[in-house]
Amino acid sequence: MSNKKQKILMIEDDKFLRKIYRDKLTRAGFVFIEATNGIEGANKIISEKPDLVLLDLILPRKNGFDVLIDMKRNLNTKNIPVIILSNLSQELDIKRGLSFGAEDYLVKTDISLSEVVDKVRGWLVKTKKIK
Amino acid sequence: MLETYPEKPKISEVISIVAHQLKNPLSVIKGYLEVLLSGDFGKVNQKQEEYLSDALENVKIMRKIVGYLLDVSRIEEKKYIIKTKPVALGDLIQEVINDFSSLAKASNCEIFFKKPKDFPSVSADPLRIRQVIENLISNALKYRSVGGGKLEIRLSKKNKEVVVSFKDNGIGIPKEEFKKVFSKFYRSESAVELDPSGTGLGLYISKAIIKLHGGKIWFKINKDFGTTFYFTIPIAKI
Repeated sequence: MSNKKQKILMIEDDKFLRKIYRDKLTRAGFVFIEATNGIEGANKIISEKPDLVLLDLILPRKNGFDVLIDMKRNLNTKNIPVIILSNLSQELDIKRGLSFGAEDYLVKTDISLSEVVDKVRGWLVKTKKIK
Repeated sequence: MLETYPEKPKISEVISIVAHQLKNPLSVIKGYLEVLLSGDFGKVNQKQEEYLSDALENVKIMRKIVGYLLDVSRIEEKKYIIKTKPVALGDLIQEVINDFSSLAKASNCEIFFKKPKDFPSVSADPLRIRQVIENLISNALKYRSVGGGKLEIRLSKKNKEVVVSFKDNGIGIPKEEFKKVFSKFYRSESAVELDPSGTGLGLYISKAIIKLHGGKIWFKINKDFGTTFYFTIPIAKI
């Protein structure tokens, strides 16, 4: 694994979820940055160039699908892996999310925090952000 | 003066919105309990672990209820979608039985199932049919007889359909309540006593799922003890 700490951007409007993921991911050795709405998230994807994005879908100001579509259209950000972390669990939402270029789609109520951290690590390795 | 809404929202819409709104706080509570249990903020003692685990177990029950409520609203709005494909039903039933094995043991209930050889595949949505099988097995375990439960699952062919039966030796269903069994929120008094956390939605949802597959679901009271639930599902066209 490289010595540089990997930067994870979480775009999530729920402050309690951000708090718990901040604790968990920081303890797991990542640099945690956050955005509370879709516009702020889209801006931070460009300015912060995170190694991975954890993206909620129902967000104020700009929804997660639009954030994803825009970043995947941008040559500078399209290779950043995205894990959708949402409570929308309909097959149609999952298909949409993956078809727009997200690496993975996780349903918040169905997955534990440790599993999310494992997924983050797994996708960083798969997308060669971690060797 | 009371103000009126321009349009009265349908109850199924209200259910759907409320259920979605409940999902986020549930994720938060679940996450916080998991972190405390993991010992990230210091080791918890045995009693604390027990209480936190109980709280987490109840979050899981609430999550199930929310899932049921969303299913009900989709059924009522006719937005419940199934996607069928050929499914080896015997394998699916065996998988579910394996998932239930520790609960069955803890409930002192034996589950008997012999997967038939060379049995045709059915045309089904595996996730939805799995939900029906889970519901019927779970009911048999919850409402088992005091002396020890027994559940016998069988598969048989009838014309172009497969019939699945779940015969238990449980507490049965009072005759006066036969008509309500597949109704929304139906729970018999004895069922409430045995499992206060039940929702009375499982059989209602199961009926809708089987109907969407073009099958039927019904039950018969056994001559000796308990109840047998049946459902049919079409054999997949080759």
